[in-house]
Amino acid sequence: MKKILVPVKRVIDYAQKIRVDPSKGAEGVQLKNVKMSMNPFCEIAVEEAIQLKEKTKAEVVAISVGPKQCTETIRTALAMGADRGIHVETKPDVRGDYINLQPWAIASLLKGIVEREDGVDLILLGKQSIDSDCGQTGPLLAGLLNAPQATFAAKIEAGDDGSFTVERETDAGTETIKLNSSVKPAVITCDLRLNTPRYPTMPNIMKAKKKKVETISLEDMVKELGLDLDEVLTPKNEVVEVYEPPPRKEGELVGSIDELLGKLKEKGLVA
Amino acid sequence: DTITTTSSLTKLFNPTDDHAALREMVRSFTEREIEPQALEYNRSETFNSSLFRKFGSHNGGLGILGLTAPEEFGGTGLPDATAVSIVHEELSYSDPALCLSYLAHSILLVNNLAVNANDEQLARFMPGICDGTKIGGMCMSEPNAGTDVLGMKSNAVYDADRDGFILNGTKMWITNGTITGKETGDLFLVYARTGTEKRSDITQFVVEGGMEGFSVGQKITDKLGMRASPTAELVFENVFLPAKTHVVGDVNGATLCMMRNLEIERVALAAMAIGIARRSLDEMIAYASNRPAFGKSNLYGFGQIQKHISESYAEYMAGKCYLYGMANGLDLSTYGNGLDADGVKLYCAQMAKNVADRAIQVMGGYGYCGEYTVERLWRDAKLLEIGGGTNESHHKNMARDLHKLDGNKLE
Repeated sequence: MKKILVPVKRVIDYAQKIRVDPSKGAEGVQLKNVKMSMNPFCEIAVEEAIQLKEKTKAEVVAISVGPKQCTETIRTALAMGADRGIHVETKPDVRGDYINLQPWAIASLLKGIVEREDGVDLILLGKQSIDSDCGQTGPLLAGLLNAPQATFAAKIEAGDDGSFTVERETDAGTETIKLNSSVKPAVITCDLRLNTPRYPTMPNIMKAKKKKVETISLEDMVKELGLDLDEVLTPKNEVVEVYEPPPRKEGELVGSIDELLGKLKEKGLVA
Repeated sequence: DTITTTSSLTKLFNPTDDHAALREMVRSFTEREIEPQALEYNRSETFNSSLFRKFGSHNGGLGILGLTAPEEFGGTGLPDATAVSIVHEELSYSDPALCLSYLAHSILLVNNLAVNANDEQLARFMPGICDGTKIGGMCMSEPNAGTDVLGMKSNAVYDADRDGFILNGTKMWITNGTITGKETGDLFLVYARTGTEKRSDITQFVVEGGMEGFSVGQKITDKLGMRASPTAELVFENVFLPAKTHVVGDVNGATLCMMRNLEIERVALAAMAIGIARRSLDEMIAYASNRPAFGKSNLYGFGQIQKHISESYAEYMAGKCYLYGMANGLDLSTYGNGLDADGVKLYCAQMAKNVADRAIQVMGGYGYCGEYTVERLWRDAKLLEIGGGTNESHHKNMARDLHKLDGNKLE
């Protein structure tokens, strides 16, 4: 295997309490002064890419679309073991949490980058981002590339013949899929149980500095790929409203099982 | 960026991207792997050596044991006081005891060797203590000599026939002196008297676990705090140390070795204090947000609580800025910056104890219980006023240094 691409997304850190400013309408989710990190599923994708690299000596390229600070996200991928990075830099007010950039735009950009890179064997993505939670970028990309795909991977085996055998977790159980080796690249999205991402060790953090990161503005990349900037920046779906979930209502105390059954029937929760 | 730090202070605490990445990595590891075990190992007074070894470079470990050691000998090659501060602050947020063992190993042993040893010694000893296979520390204090360092009685006599020194004596309060409670740790730097002409006729030796005559006198138990860090009395009975390989620096020249290492040791201890204070603050801020009283849904309307929290924050930030301001400019290969090394530890150690104390007070009965963490931090913080230099030793040093201004004013 020669080349693996791993798109990584910078999102609000999973442990942060999300705050919504009701006066800001659809853009209510506060991003200012909030801790941001690599999307956990993207971390898993990076880890899988590095493990595959350790077996096959493939080159791992981390890609991120977003503001200036995405270089930190790419550097984390480099410190885990990726070889180089591509940063498609957006203007600071462009939001990646479904407000401005949405999966279709990202998938279109990634398709162009895959072709620009040439010789890509595999694209590994997180199954979804924890801000938009769409789960669409991987499948859309596979569609645009006419690539064999498997989503929600819990195990990936790379065959010597260039094929990929993927165990995927679905609501109905685990299924095993073999991705055809004759069609390249393949697209696989990664689920929680695939691996446990490594910590970037101190020596690797220092080595990451020397690895190459190409930074190119969104405008320049769109132009180079022959896409339409308006198309990319105009979301296909509009966020109408954002609000915090209503606070949990206090429960009702009942005195007996009979009373409990009575209440449940009253509320139409049991027949 | 957080709501509480302006970006200029974020830069002070993380001067480069590497520093930010290091902090992120250690914080993440601490949260996931150190936090869950801290209470238990404190209760049982045992040392989590397998977790400690993950700091080494073996088996995909973090590679932070040899932070300041040269790359060519297995270290990370980053003689950077800021990086040292970051690691100690982040580890101490969850487990100051484990961090103390990390300090004794990475600063008192690894860094000291990195600065004072010759190439042969580095090639021989450095890889094992950087990769996590060997754990050790440094022996200076004795049962009857602590602050009065040069009052030490351990002595090493030169035997010309064997071209080596015969070491005899007892060392006390040695962190990592024992790992399991029975045998000694793997590698130690030991200070002993090798001359009687001057009080400062002290030499620094390397002593290896397993050497004949080297044993554990006792594991010290029932400590107030730092209970998960193993402390021991170590005994040396006619331990033979070859002159060519096991003498570090010059014979009778160990005070230079000491001077070169004391500053970074104090910075590391001050950084531990900052981690303790930060954790205490997080705990009291959260508790006060969730505790109803007198018809109010939280404690923020009560003046005494406001005072505890705000004063703790200001003191913590003052200490943190002093620490990083000082660490960012500290060159580990030189010495002579003692005044601020003493000053930052003197200030931060007392500050951490006070902040932890206020956290217990804000949290009331819960603060008094082990499960709520702050009582352990309070007990751990107390050590920082004693170990690595008592408050009194800092008073002595700082007054002496300020006296030397000799009529000139401060900058």
